[in-house]
Amino acid sequence: MINTTTGVRPIESGGLRVLRRPRIMDPGPAAIAGTALIILLTVSPLATLATSVLAAGANALSIVTQGPVLLLIARTGLLAALATLWAIILGLPPAWILTRTDLPGRRVLLAVAVLPLAIPPYIGALTYITLLGPVGWVNTTAQALGAGGPIANIYGLWGGIFVLGLFTYPYILLMAGSALQGSDPALEEAARAVGLGSIATFRRVTLPLLRPSLLAGALLVFLYALSDFGAVSLLRVDTFTTEIFHQLNTRFDQRNAAVLSGVLVLITAGVLIAQRATLGRRSYVQRRSGVRPPTVYPLGRWKLPALCCTYIVLGGSVFLPVALLLYQTGSLMTLLQTLVSGYHFLWNSLWTATVAATAASGLGLFVAYLAQRRQGPVGLLLTSATQLGYAVPGTVLGLSLILLYNAYLPWVYGTAAMVIIGYLLRFLPQAVQGSTAALVQVDAHLEEAARSLGRSAWQALREVTLPLIRPGIAAGWMLVFISSMKELAATLLLRPAGFDTLPVRIWIASIEVDYAGAAATSLILIAITAVPLFLMTRRDATLSRIE
Amino acid sequence: MTQVGKSISVYRFVRSLPRWVLLFAALLPAYVDASASAAELVVYSGRKESAIKPVVELFERETGIKVALKIGKTSGLANAILQERGRPQADIFIATEAGVCEILARQEVLEPYASPGARAMPAEHKSSRGLWTGISGRARVIIYNKNLVKGGDIPNSILDLADAKWKGKIAIAGTRERTTLSWLSALVQVMGEAKAKAYIDRLMANGLKVLPDNSDVWRGVGSGEFAVGLTNSPNYHLAVQANLPVGVVYPDQGPRGMGILVNPNAVAIVKGAKNLDQAKRFVDFLLSKPAQDLLVRHAFEIPLLPGVDPGAVRPLSGFKALPINQERLAELEDRTMTLFPGL
Repeated sequence: MINTTTGVRPIESGGLRVLRRPRIMDPGPAAIAGTALIILLTVSPLATLATSVLAAGANALSIVTQGPVLLLIARTGLLAALATLWAIILGLPPAWILTRTDLPGRRVLLAVAVLPLAIPPYIGALTYITLLGPVGWVNTTAQALGAGGPIANIYGLWGGIFVLGLFTYPYILLMAGSALQGSDPALEEAARAVGLGSIATFRRVTLPLLRPSLLAGALLVFLYALSDFGAVSLLRVDTFTTEIFHQLNTRFDQRNAAVLSGVLVLITAGVLIAQRATLGRRSYVQRRSGVRPPTVYPLGRWKLPALCCTYIVLGGSVFLPVALLLYQTGSLMTLLQTLVSGYHFLWNSLWTATVAATAASGLGLFVAYLAQRRQGPVGLLLTSATQLGYAVPGTVLGLSLILLYNAYLPWVYGTAAMVIIGYLLRFLPQAVQGSTAALVQVDAHLEEAARSLGRSAWQALREVTLPLIRPGIAAGWMLVFISSMKELAATLLLRPAGFDTLPVRIWIASIEVDYAGAAATSLILIAITAVPLFLMTRRDATLSRIE
Repeated sequence: MTQVGKSISVYRFVRSLPRWVLLFAALLPAYVDASASAAELVVYSGRKESAIKPVVELFERETGIKVALKIGKTSGLANAILQERGRPQADIFIATEAGVCEILARQEVLEPYASPGARAMPAEHKSSRGLWTGISGRARVIIYNKNLVKGGDIPNSILDLADAKWKGKIAIAGTRERTTLSWLSALVQVMGEAKAKAYIDRLMANGLKVLPDNSDVWRGVGSGEFAVGLTNSPNYHLAVQANLPVGVVYPDQGPRGMGILVNPNAVAIVKGAKNLDQAKRFVDFLLSKPAQDLLVRHAFEIPLLPGVDPGAVRPLSGFKALPINQERLAELEDRTMTLFPGL
């Protein structure tokens, strides 16, 4: 089935595969129960939203056709699109440089380059307001040196694009990087052998192979930018989410907010469908050949420019924010004090994120397995249901969960489980994607072979498939963990009284104008979140060396 | 060689990680049960933690009642209370602005309680139906940057701000800050719709900068991004505390001046509260002298009850206030928002 010379196989292979479609798993009670659970979990908040929209009637729908709202949709779309483009510009070159060249220290640099994922964009926004705000360091210095007026302004649409791209590019880097790392050198060698130059080889062989992972990364950035609230509100960009917030919190109009959120859900669904359509039939997923590592190109005289390019990106997204936070913290004592006095906030963050990530990985694997191994509407339905969790802004999700759980599961409501459910719903798509990406690389016939040797479906899954897809699951686990550690909007609403997490503490410290406390807490959050990120990149390196 | 050895041990650790995580996750439900503490009073507070926590701690010490405190944005907590109406979780709601309490009152999620301590409270700072009570106040003032605005230039009236010399130099928080919303409603009430609209239009034409919230206003004025800001009195003191060169004006104080809007912070009991008796004791306590001293002093608020030391803050008796009632302001809100779409 697998074309061993290319190490590439179509996602939807025809021919024999269709004739002998393996039936790996019977729709046992476990599968049905799991499906029901996930549908209930993910669709119920959306149903609440839909009920509010319907209750609002045609009258409330008129808000969508109003000029200002159309303008907001356009502005938010532009913000998300340009932030994605910016993230690709920032993420793709380092992805190639750090995986495919002989740049000195590239393993360490790769571990550092994904660190912005540990920095919540609202903290990034604060950094750049301090630096590039109207009275930020850059402007005051310029004016002291004789400039007539402010030379830079971080506020507004361009600032929003700049900051969002800067702190989400690792999604591109990670996705493209692992595709580049796993790619089989034979393909590029073949292209070279037929006389293509380096650039032509990249354009005609490497880039098309990268496309699915690049698209997956771009999707993560785009959807993130679409639903971000913290950074855009700090940077004074009016977007769809800030308008929803306005409807909820100034007008106390939950129906308008529901209608607007519904639009956001539709936009997100449209984007997801578009992605599916783009990938279509022509897409290929690369298998890790496991035989030979990918070609490493010597940089030669390009070493210095490549190093500079990498360091500039790292400087803006990691070194600067961390240095600024260290400066604002003031002293090591402040950091220690914050750590000691706030250890239970750290603990709250840690265990809720751990449980959420573990639950999400389990459910994500289930969804991915069903979607990949069993054709039909159920898998598609499940995948769509879980992915729509992307679209609902944290505040709206929080409010619909309050309504649902307080009414129907009051013994869950008011406990930390609500926070976990919030994380789970918001970040389940990341776990599903992690598992799906890993699963498409494992041929279903491997399981079939195991079954023909007398293993049960469960044993085949456990003994054959699971070990092969473990890295994908682990990557999904870590993404969910990291996102959960940073989550603020839904947590603020869902946490039981007296239960704060690190981002909640950062938020409280910043409204109290306790800069040192906010900075110290941010540093702790970044340091903790960096650990799984570091392990994730280390792990790739270690695995390839052992093999 | 050691490098490889190290790599292998890291690899083993990483490989065993999922098992540890699973074990950890399996043990957690036990912890969750233990953490769901049996609080005897649940307080949702929109007030800053530093302002409310000392009061809550004093209450716990004096009464032995255990309090679970949830800090958030006033409006976010109000939305939560609305969502929870079928099965209320909070006993007490503390708002940074009384209009929210009026909205909740209209939605019938508040429990009336006339605390004996509220008797001396001026009528405009408590609900006529006993649904909420003011606990401290803040005045709507003008702040300015002392390096940018000097001597005779300092505005005495909000109307002065329409002057061309302030073009592009004034900051205000938008109506997303509810204190701005009630200030605008107050203008509509006092000046009349047409005049209020004309005034705000002139400010907008003068390049009024609309910011997301009040902390942007006082930090912006303090840092020199703006010369003048329209905001609440405690923010002036916060700016001074942060060593920013900020001055304050209590505007429109002349014999024909309209005076200043005072917004009360308010406390309310949530309808259906599980711990009603404790909630009532908490309201009584907030209106008692020791709690008032803490509330006012820590957050530079204006005391609303007589006999409370205002500290560094100008007391209610120290300026001319707008006599306006919160129910009226709440009625005006919708109209105000349609009148000033740009804010």
